[in-house]
Amino acid sequence: MLETLPVAERAAAAPRGRRLSRAAPFVVAALAALALWLAPLVLDTFAVNVLTRSMIYAVLAVTVDLLWGFAGILTFGQAAFFGVGAYATAMILTAYGATPLGIAAAVAASLVAPVVLGLAVGWLSFYHRSTPLYASVISLVVPIVVVQLIYAGGEWTGSSSGLVGFDVLPFEIEGYFRLAALFLIVVTLAAWILVRSDAGRALVALRDNEARCAYLGLNPRRLQIRLTAALAGVAGLAGFLFANASAVVAPENAGFLFGTELVIWVALGGRGTLLGPVLGTIAIDYLAANLSGDLPFLWQLLLGTAFVVIIILLPGGLADLVGRLWRVLPIGRRRPAPPRLVARAAATEATGTEATGTEIPILKVENLAKAYGALTVLEAIDLEIRAGELVSLVGPNGAGKTTLMRCLSDGTEPFRGAIAVGGTPITGLTPNRIVGLGVGRKFQVASVFESLSVADCLRLARAAHDGLSPVGQAETLGLPQAALDVLRMTGLDRLLTQPTRLLSHGQKQALELAMVVALEPRLILLDEPTAGLTKAERTTIGAVLKALTAEGRIAAVLVEHDLDFVREISSRIVVLHQGRLVLDGTVEAVVGSELVRTIYAGGGHG
Amino acid sequence: MLLTLDILTTAAILFIVSIGLLAIFGVLKIINFAHGAWLTVGAYCAVVTAKLGLNPWAALPLAFVIGAALGGLAEHVIIRPLYRRPLDAILATWGLGIVVGQLITLAFGRDVQLTPNLYAGTVEILGVDYSAYRLVALGIALAIGTLFALTVERTRLGLSARAVIMNETLARSLGIDTGRVRLVVFMIGAGFAALAGVLLTPLTSVDPNMGVSWLIGAFMLVMVADASYLALAAACLVFGAAQVLISTFVSPILGSIAVAVLAALVLRISPKGFSRA
Repeated sequence: MLETLPVAERAAAAPRGRRLSRAAPFVVAALAALALWLAPLVLDTFAVNVLTRSMIYAVLAVTVDLLWGFAGILTFGQAAFFGVGAYATAMILTAYGATPLGIAAAVAASLVAPVVLGLAVGWLSFYHRSTPLYASVISLVVPIVVVQLIYAGGEWTGSSSGLVGFDVLPFEIEGYFRLAALFLIVVTLAAWILVRSDAGRALVALRDNEARCAYLGLNPRRLQIRLTAALAGVAGLAGFLFANASAVVAPENAGFLFGTELVIWVALGGRGTLLGPVLGTIAIDYLAANLSGDLPFLWQLLLGTAFVVIIILLPGGLADLVGRLWRVLPIGRRRPAPPRLVARAAATEATGTEATGTEIPILKVENLAKAYGALTVLEAIDLEIRAGELVSLVGPNGAGKTTLMRCLSDGTEPFRGAIAVGGTPITGLTPNRIVGLGVGRKFQVASVFESLSVADCLRLARAAHDGLSPVGQAETLGLPQAALDVLRMTGLDRLLTQPTRLLSHGQKQALELAMVVALEPRLILLDEPTAGLTKAERTTIGAVLKALTAEGRIAAVLVEHDLDFVREISSRIVVLHQGRLVLDGTVEAVVGSELVRTIYAGGGHG
Repeated sequence: MLLTLDILTTAAILFIVSIGLLAIFGVLKIINFAHGAWLTVGAYCAVVTAKLGLNPWAALPLAFVIGAALGGLAEHVIIRPLYRRPLDAILATWGLGIVVGQLITLAFGRDVQLTPNLYAGTVEILGVDYSAYRLVALGIALAIGTLFALTVERTRLGLSARAVIMNETLARSLGIDTGRVRLVVFMIGAGFAALAGVLLTPLTSVDPNMGVSWLIGAFMLVMVADASYLALAAACLVFGAAQVLISTFVSPILGSIAVAVLAALVLRISPKGFSRA
């Protein structure tokens, strides 16, 4: 409907609609809370008991969904954190009873112990160049280790028979039902707000393209570890509630099998939808309690079969099916209003003048060498680049250009020699820390976040500077003027709400360039920024680069094959051949040289 | 002496249990969580053989054939659609494991099954009485390892498999039917797993969930070995030794998690595991 409104009216309608949609989750949550508060009045004791447990499990499903559905970390480990929280509670309540102090200690322990374990697990799972598979492996090992420790705990943990008969909170079963319901609603609402906030986009960005996150100056490791630890804490609190409500804890509560069950529930409900896993978990656990008494093996068989079928045919789970039906209905749908673009004053101006201090070159490479085994790719490279320069790196395929770019932006690459950015040596630094020194890198193949919108990609590019709101979406998007110019010249400013995966190849290249420029780097590294672009797009990018460097505060290095383009925009040309730097000079000197003709023999570019 | 024998035979058993998983991980690049189910299937082949009154050793070829056939079916229906989604393949194969486990439960019941010992008695070696079967298992592990090595190094299938491991796209463009290689390798892997299931029967109790307890250890060993059977042998020796030593001198409970924990740490420090050595 809104599509037909004149622009002015739409602009007026947007904030109102936004306020409404912002309030909606709270209204739904309040209604759900009310309904669940009244539910014990009509449900029988069995249902109340089972659903209490189901709702506690649903809290765990929310944490699994945040990790797996949103951040792309397939985890079986939430069971371990849950078990640790439950056992911490049971052990403390066994020792001190349900006195106010005992309860307080139990709550604190069921939060702190899993968080500490979560930090350790996160440290183990996530490191520079760790793989998603490895994180899943660790998440498998953790519950196994926890269960064995429980077995080894003797009297403390009740070994294989678990702990039973400890004092618990003074509630009736209705009280536990309501407590579990409130806990579930609070956790789900918080998760809902988080995933719809700007910070929530960072989770999806991590799943989509971890390398790009690092090259935007975000620390993927730290984000993943924090998320793991925080959600371990939530699982631990669920364990506290579980230990109280069921008055018994057993090793199975922490086990790897329970961890896989959580994943199954989330998959069936629909990963990445929050409500799907919540409803899926409650439905499946409730059904299981009712059916498994009569047909225990058949129930498991059906569940297993459904799980396999859903994974293969419907990766989005049942929520995806419901969503598809929903979209068929003729209900008006509003496109989210794009954020307003605003230019921000170049923040680096102040720091820029002191740091640039003409004495220190922005980039200094000394005697750089790199080899893969016996194959030498780079040898004896010396290079100095100062602010205001636009240096083109040319050379035939296999000359080592891309390898050189990689060494400049990732200090963990094994290389010999020294590279310094603004006087700081980068050896051993991870890409995100080098971005922090003021290096922005554009990859050869456009590297953006496929499931996010153009605006979200740009916002993530600013995240290292401006931070991300964990509760809402900012209505403005502040970008440096240069980034705005790129957007305007390429028409991307009119496509802010467009999902990135729908952009053309050239638009993706332009978006990545805008993201890199938005980092306000002192040194921009561009690997074939014009490959596969039209003449017009190429001219645009050339103009942007010239304008950026012309101010004399930043420098750019680009790898390029198109010698006409290089000649047009460069202030200096460096020629690489067979891993060696063979020429370094002005455009005229290099283009006119005999050596370049020989290297590019027959190319006829000159 | 006893300790040395324990270490060698433990390593041998670990090797037998994980070699099928290694073949599948190497070529298909997916973790086959149904591996535990294939082990169970193999063990129940031994149960069936015993019920039919056949020689216990007849269970070996039977298990290999049934395992390979089921593996072929699973590859076709479940694995093939998930080649591009390796994490989902873990889940789907885990689901398959649940289904197989429940089918076995429906057919045989939940109880522990008794199987005849493949090779009873003890042998005296250098003054120690030692389980004869464990020594037989050591021999079998060496035989399987040799067979595996010959297949990889000397046959056309081995050559194709190595090509697929190194660069699947290139292998396909050279005219290797990579889909077929994947299918055959999955069948062989499942067959070896079922074989291992039979060989486990004298050592553990047979019940529908027996495979799961072996799965994680095998899985961790394969992660460390990273598609190299020599590395797998080395990993089995090192972690098997650790398991035996920790169980003997510290605590059996810690020994049971030694493989998983040590493998995780090795991977953290050196992501390529043992394959680089």
